[in-house]
Amino acid sequence: MNTLDIEELCKLIFSGDRKAIATAITLVESTKHEDQDSTNRLLTLLESQQTQSIRIGISGPPGVGKSTFIEAIGHSVLESDERLAILAIDPSSSISGGSILGDKTRMESLSRNENTFIRPSPSGGNLGGVHRSTRESVSILEAAGYSVILIETVGVGQAETEVFEMTDIFLVLLSPGGGDELQGIKRGIIELADILVVNKADGNLEATSRSTVLDYKNALKLLKPRIQGWNVPVLPCSALEKNGIDQIWNEVINLKDHLVKTGQLEKSRLEQSKIWLKNKKKNLILSAIEDDEELLDKLGETIKE
Amino acid sequence: MSKVDKKWRKKAEEELRGESIDSLNWDTLEGIQVKPLYTSQDLLELEHLDNLPGFLPFLRGPKATMYSKRPWTIRQYSGFSTAEESNKFYRDNLAAGQTGLSVAFDLATHRGYDSDHPRVPGDVGKAGVAIDSIEDMKILFDQIPLDQMSVSMTMNGAVIPIMAMFIVAAEEQGVDKNDLKGTLQNDILKEFMVRNTYIYPPDHSMRIVADIIAYCSNHLPQFNSVSISGYHMLEAGATCTQELAYTIADGLEYVRAAKNQGLDVDSFAPRLSFFFGIGMNFFMEIAKLRAARFLWSELIEQEFKPKDPRSQMLRTHCQTSGVSLTSQDPYNNIIRTTIEAMAAVLGGTQSLHTNSFDEALALPTPFSAEIARSTQLVLREESGLTKVVDPLAGSYYIESLTGSIINEARKLIAEVEELGGMTKAVQAGVPKLRIEESAAIRQARIEKKEEIVVGVNDYFSSKEQDVDIRSIDNEDVRNQQITKLESIKKSRDETVCQKTLENIESVAKNGGNLLEAAIEAAKARATVGEISEAMENVFGRHQAVSQSISGVYRKEYEGEDEFMDVEKQIEQFLKTNGRRPRILVAKLGQDGHDRGAKVIATAFADLGFDVDIGPLFQTPEEAAKQAIENDVHILGVSTQAAAHKTLVPMLIDSLKEENADNILVVCGGIIPDNDIPELESMGVGAVFGPGTNISKAALKVLDLIQ
Repeated sequence: MNTLDIEELCKLIFSGDRKAIATAITLVESTKHEDQDSTNRLLTLLESQQTQSIRIGISGPPGVGKSTFIEAIGHSVLESDERLAILAIDPSSSISGGSILGDKTRMESLSRNENTFIRPSPSGGNLGGVHRSTRESVSILEAAGYSVILIETVGVGQAETEVFEMTDIFLVLLSPGGGDELQGIKRGIIELADILVVNKADGNLEATSRSTVLDYKNALKLLKPRIQGWNVPVLPCSALEKNGIDQIWNEVINLKDHLVKTGQLEKSRLEQSKIWLKNKKKNLILSAIEDDEELLDKLGETIKE
Repeated sequence: MSKVDKKWRKKAEEELRGESIDSLNWDTLEGIQVKPLYTSQDLLELEHLDNLPGFLPFLRGPKATMYSKRPWTIRQYSGFSTAEESNKFYRDNLAAGQTGLSVAFDLATHRGYDSDHPRVPGDVGKAGVAIDSIEDMKILFDQIPLDQMSVSMTMNGAVIPIMAMFIVAAEEQGVDKNDLKGTLQNDILKEFMVRNTYIYPPDHSMRIVADIIAYCSNHLPQFNSVSISGYHMLEAGATCTQELAYTIADGLEYVRAAKNQGLDVDSFAPRLSFFFGIGMNFFMEIAKLRAARFLWSELIEQEFKPKDPRSQMLRTHCQTSGVSLTSQDPYNNIIRTTIEAMAAVLGGTQSLHTNSFDEALALPTPFSAEIARSTQLVLREESGLTKVVDPLAGSYYIESLTGSIINEARKLIAEVEELGGMTKAVQAGVPKLRIEESAAIRQARIEKKEEIVVGVNDYFSSKEQDVDIRSIDNEDVRNQQITKLESIKKSRDETVCQKTLENIESVAKNGGNLLEAAIEAAKARATVGEISEAMENVFGRHQAVSQSISGVYRKEYEGEDEFMDVEKQIEQFLKTNGRRPRILVAKLGQDGHDRGAKVIATAFADLGFDVDIGPLFQTPEEAAKQAIENDVHILGVSTQAAAHKTLVPMLIDSLKEENADNILVVCGGIIPDNDIPELESMGVGAVFGPGTNISKAALKVLDLIQ
């Protein structure tokens, strides 16, 4: 894209043009080397107009009902007059490279809403639970005036740290029962959680979910809270029956106020920018050498020496 | 091995000149291996051989004399857009001696929407008659004596308002409920697996089914309250054994639901009827119907211990398969339908619908409908098929196949039962995935020519055939319906009407019979949409969780030239464009047939596309919004119910409005050739009919977006 096009695109994004936002996300996701420059120029231009937003990461094991939960909490977000953007990451097949992105089938009523922008992206083989350029997409959406950004990740349970590194609030969804989760692989993401939600508190599982909430509350007592002055709340909800959703949204608001008041929001964003820059450089180098056998050989030898 | 077997094997090996006999085995989609020869040896292990028609377990037929006394009923189902047109059609047929009639409703009615609802502009009057209120229902049955006529109604979603209006229409005609005869499909479980014309979540939907069974068993003793249907599963790509097993499992679940209402099994089970589809696997289909009767009898006895043998008797309606019809060389479909009809008859069906040859192109014309009806008349009158009961009994092959199907179906039923019965199984989505998997495998087999479909993947016709087809102007129907709705709402007593609706809500919440409550609302001139909404306020509207399979198509197809070609082109595309080609597969309107869309989605993902799946029941505006946000290259619209004429133009306008006409729109499904030029002039890039080779379609769209 030439400079003029980028400027035009930037203007359209500022005006909230849906198509321009979509095109820009495609641009930053592009794996083509030439698109790198355009991306950088666009991001620089966008910096002049950023909305004050909350960035919320939503994670949890597969089958916990992330999309249904987002559909439910999305309505609470919209009711408080916010504009909502959702970035969802679906896994790409490691064999065909293709993917099936079905998230909007699960966020049916949100996807119809005029104040909502939903963009599922194929993970493209990235393991961190996010797309390589999710962070850039966040900038675009903020420039377009979206004030709440939800990032839903591939529910792998590990390697969620990348989402963590680009969000203000990290919300973890768990199923009732699953006591072994505490010992097992899920421990990693629970440690990162700022708000823990036990979904599916409905039907047969309602009683189980109450005891699960207690289990997690106890477990969390042993952990040092990640955010100063914030005790991680554990809340039950039923995304299906839309119970307990408003309480969760209230906690998000409380936490945001807390982060702003104590100056931690600004601080962690600064920190995140640094990490992002570093990762960007790293990726740049990686993609530069990826197809260059000669360079790889040379580097290999240098390291050996 | 017996002496005969040895002798034959030796001879066969000579004829095969070194190739193994096993190479002649045929692995059917059902997972049943069919051998080239069956002998008396194959009957040795079978448990089902010694029985008679008219006696438990009814394997050889529910009646002792079957067609030798009374042939099957010819029951043709047809959809006209308005109550007036349908009524005229029924009366003409009745004058010609027909004794039963069958009502097809339009998609808006199925989904519990009145014709003026903003989500249904493309659906009113499509694929059936639009019914909004008791007034429409009265027109539908005007001058038709409901105490004499058996009325079959294909309704599953909006069963409560429709059944209520039927009862009230009869009452206002002066007919007592006790005298009403007919069948209500009322089979909601299969809607969650295929077809998707549900309204409420599974649990609440099951309560509705049970309320209807209970009401009918008390007040409409001659009415079949449920028609447990496998047809739509077969149409969605299920194998014969899947269709059979899931249908029987559905039936068991309905019996349980009714028993939970406190009903005695013998008070309603004899009034349950079945509905199967009949495809092209001739002997398999015959064996399927025999196996069905055996299994139903066995499972009902095991679980419910009825006293009346009729509770264990499976009676069924059959319809020839719609998906077996091709848009290429459509006249060949007459032959396909004939073969399928024969299988249904040899299998011992109680009634039969034969499809019209043009149904892969559009809704039938009077001409094609007449050929379909005549097909049955020829079979009945000229072939001698009716003279002998269960004529294939004792055939080594048929009996062996019947046994294999019984065993395979038992396994599938056991799987469903392990999940806690069909209501739980559909919530978990297991049967749906199994069926979609079979559909994808079948598609790949056809594309690889492991299965030949004449005129589709081999023996292509050299000349184009012009077929006259029927088209519907639904705008007109919709406007008529809206006027009628306005007038009924003006003339009714609003206070009384609202009270009856509040009562429905309270019954939904606190218990009681919903049909009973809806009858009062129908009398007070509440509409289908209002009655449905009253229940929706309590139950919610069901949102399907879309699950999709992957890898099936690739597994069957990898290595074929065209597949590799697509893969190569996609790699190239990725290099030039910095991302994979991305396609949104969308279904527009209230048509829930998503087999085509699902097959395309999984196959394209296997080929290396990034595939977005749109939610069911999208409006054109919503599909456009999703396509734009996801920045797809291609928007593929799958349509089975003639929605292309209204909804595709709306979609293209929506894209233009947002300056997104760079997105390539393609259509797939049942689209008459005559409509293609118009679609193309509107900007549709390509139209793919039934039987399109998917890799070829992929190459075509790749070509169009580069």
